[in-house]
Amino acid sequence: MTESLFMLSFVFPGIAAFVALISRKGDIGNIASQSLFALGGLCGILGAALFYASGEAGIAVLDVPLFGLVVGRLSVFFFAIISVGVLLTSLYAIEGLRPYKNAYSLHWLAVASAFFIVGMQGVVLASSVVGFLIAWELMSVAAYFLVIADRSDDSLQAGLFYFVMTHIGFASLVAGFLVLSGGNAFANWQQVALTASALSPAVLAAAFALLFVGFGSKAGLVPLHQWLPMAHPQAPSHASALLSGVMLKVAIFGFIQSLFLFPAIPASWGAVVLVVGLSSAFFGVLHAVVESDIKRVLAWSSIENMGLIFSGIGAAMILRTLPFEAGPALASAIAIFIALHIVNHFLFKSGLFMAAGAIVSSVHSRDMDVMGGLAQKWPLFSGIFLALALSAAALPPFGTFFGEWMYLQSVALALVGLPLPYSVGAGLVLAIIAGVSGLAIFAFVKMFSSVFLGRARDESAEHVRPLPSLVLLSPGITAFALALSGVLAFPFFSARFILNESVFQHVAIVEGASINSWIVWGLVAGLFGLAFLFSRAIGARIRITDTWDCGQPLTPRMQYTATGFSAPIRFFFRSFLVSRKEMLVVPISPENPWIARRSLDWIVTSAWERFLYRPITSGILYLAGYARKLQSGVIQLYLLLVVLTLVAAFIFAL
Amino acid sequence: MTFALITFQTLLVLAAAPAVIGMIRKMKARFQNRQGASIFLPYWSLLSLFKKEMTVTRHSSWVFRVVPFVVFGSALFLAIAIPSFAAGILSASLSNIFLVGAVAALGSVFLVFGGMDTASTFGNMGSSREMTIASMIEPALYVSLASLAAFASFWSLDGIVLYFASVPMYTTLPAALSLIALVFVLLAENARYPVDNPATHLELTMVHEAMVLEYSGPYLALLEYASWIKLTAMLALVANLVFPWGILVAPFAGFAFVVALAAFVIKLALGAFVIAYIESTIVKMRFYRMQEYTSLALIIALGGLAVVLFTFAI
Repeated sequence: MTESLFMLSFVFPGIAAFVALISRKGDIGNIASQSLFALGGLCGILGAALFYASGEAGIAVLDVPLFGLVVGRLSVFFFAIISVGVLLTSLYAIEGLRPYKNAYSLHWLAVASAFFIVGMQGVVLASSVVGFLIAWELMSVAAYFLVIADRSDDSLQAGLFYFVMTHIGFASLVAGFLVLSGGNAFANWQQVALTASALSPAVLAAAFALLFVGFGSKAGLVPLHQWLPMAHPQAPSHASALLSGVMLKVAIFGFIQSLFLFPAIPASWGAVVLVVGLSSAFFGVLHAVVESDIKRVLAWSSIENMGLIFSGIGAAMILRTLPFEAGPALASAIAIFIALHIVNHFLFKSGLFMAAGAIVSSVHSRDMDVMGGLAQKWPLFSGIFLALALSAAALPPFGTFFGEWMYLQSVALALVGLPLPYSVGAGLVLAIIAGVSGLAIFAFVKMFSSVFLGRARDESAEHVRPLPSLVLLSPGITAFALALSGVLAFPFFSARFILNESVFQHVAIVEGASINSWIVWGLVAGLFGLAFLFSRAIGARIRITDTWDCGQPLTPRMQYTATGFSAPIRFFFRSFLVSRKEMLVVPISPENPWIARRSLDWIVTSAWERFLYRPITSGILYLAGYARKLQSGVIQLYLLLVVLTLVAAFIFAL
Repeated sequence: MTFALITFQTLLVLAAAPAVIGMIRKMKARFQNRQGASIFLPYWSLLSLFKKEMTVTRHSSWVFRVVPFVVFGSALFLAIAIPSFAAGILSASLSNIFLVGAVAALGSVFLVFGGMDTASTFGNMGSSREMTIASMIEPALYVSLASLAAFASFWSLDGIVLYFASVPMYTTLPAALSLIALVFVLLAENARYPVDNPATHLELTMVHEAMVLEYSGPYLALLEYASWIKLTAMLALVANLVFPWGILVAPFAGFAFVVALAAFVIKLALGAFVIAYIESTIVKMRFYRMQEYTSLALIIALGGLAVVLFTFAI
């Protein structure tokens, strides 16, 4: 039963693609194929639920020679996330893709989505190296077609960048796994772990570095992150939700799974992961604050959250190896943070991408500087978005806050639990996480206020039509799930992994360092009740007026834009944000030089692009100039090269 | 018993908050050789605001009307969760340092929404600045609270205050730097000098006042009252850590109750004096130098943490 449900979740995307191809253009085809995707997601969810209910350690779903799919406790967790993601985004896409009938070729989009979904599912369940790599490549290449779906120049450029980066990552994954498995690509995970246990520490370190580069480039860790905010926003919004909300989790899954292949993990590897994770979190959130393209802000925020999760993984890797009493306990607390944050980030990021898609298809721009005033037009939708934005900012009472509380509190406990050099490190980590979470609040407050509050800054946001209710459904479900995640998932995970007690009790990492989400929600409910009674009791007369304007009428253009809102942060962190600003002033009146037409050309890039990507690109182009000299058109030279290559190959092989 | 004490403590903070503001204003006036208004004027201001008609701009949405309640709720939570009058009565889950920090941030966030939902440049400017300050001061806040907590080995504000009250005062000396950092945070979080000028409506300097500019009547009363409560609660916290005398701890006997009440009043008066003194002797910093202030706060907080950790090692 469970096996066939898992198999069905593989089969349904295929049927959906087939249906989409048959029906070609037309609404019915899209509705049918998206419903089939959703059905596949539903099967996956049911399968995962049955698997957990059965309490088994692992089931083989498919077992053919050299290729198998096996569900285990870790992989089902990620499989369930993929399934929920597929279900929600497909429900959204039924209505969400309707305005884009002519922009995308919907049937080919469905085919790419099918390969993408099956690829992700395959990565999670693959039981051997070759299966994993094939599924990984399927997922990556299908994602490329999702990125270039609208065939615009920007998309093609972003897609090319993504394609190059993902294959750098893929190459190092192949190399890393082959080193670990002793060259046997058909080994299953147990055999790989067995082979790896005989390898020398230096070889293991090399394999770890290769795998970290491979998974890190997919997860958008610095310095291999620059493609992510270009590529993810270019895809259709439901696909962006899958890319940012789900595919990044698959990269985390790959990384965690490969950690189990190593016989031992030294603390220094953990330190590398921690540092890379924290710097990704910092640069990700900094760009999320200063960016004003709504989908790009979300993509940068994904880098931030992946950074936080990887820093947690790094911290747990260090803590597990330390010979102190506090180490393992804190490592398992951080593991709870990792699990919770994977769920929460998936929920709020897919919800926000779908919500952003709804906004973009109404306003016809991704630029937050032209939006505004949408809360008056869409009260319910703005409430959903507010809940998602508060979750993304990790503010109480939503689930993300409780997850991050676990992390902050564990790092703070490391201050007293660990001896001196480690405790100072914990203090610095605490300061960086606090700084990142402060800036994350900034980024999402900016997003909500510039999109929904005040007045529309441009005509296009002024005259928006009511949103179809099916578009609200999926973001609404994620917002609701985030509330549940705080009040149920947090105590549940904690009860399961630290202490086996009731979900209603305080979650305490150690005595005195505790929190209780039920108390927080009780307070919220109590305060809501009080506020309601109070507002009834005041019964104040309300007069609707204009905004106070000092005697001169206000125009919408006088409001702060998203760009203006983040100006202080841009100024304070200007050394990290390399920006180029050109102001062109053309005088109009010969008498008065102040009367002039001004135009501003201004882009914010990043220090990484300026100091890492550009030099490498120009270096490659420079070398390519030399390589071109070989292409002289002289046939003898080519023959000589062929012979030399053959000789070299023979020498190498023998 | 504890429930009654928590309620009493909360009501005490609510009752004292306008008087604290009145005291600060009175002392500032005396520093400037003015007579100053009665310290009880803020009570009358609140009451008259509650009776007034409200004006709400047509460019605002439901968010504008929710803001006063969330901001007030956040301040109310601070009044509940910060031990100001008695220690050892709150559960560790309620006054956990990170929860208190996050709820304070939630209040700031909604204040920012209020300023952004007016379609006015004043409100927008105040919001942008408030958000900048609130997010940049976050590391200093968490590091200073965490080092105090590490020093006391209690992870709730209640436990920290209880620890400070139960050990001889000279032993708490290593926490001094962290307390200084906490004062930096207090000034920034409560929109006081040198971060913000609470007595101005001039667009060049204002932060908090700009955000609430569009509010009137009962909503304005809620927002003003919330900011006073926040200041009073945080002032009481710092005062209880710097002068850990007289705070009510178990057993809650009759005489100790009177002493604690007197200590509460004296500490708040002292805190009000310090704030009035700071505001009368230094100038406000330029907003675009705020990163120096927040970096300084963070460096002091990290220094305080280093001192605490080295104290453990010895």
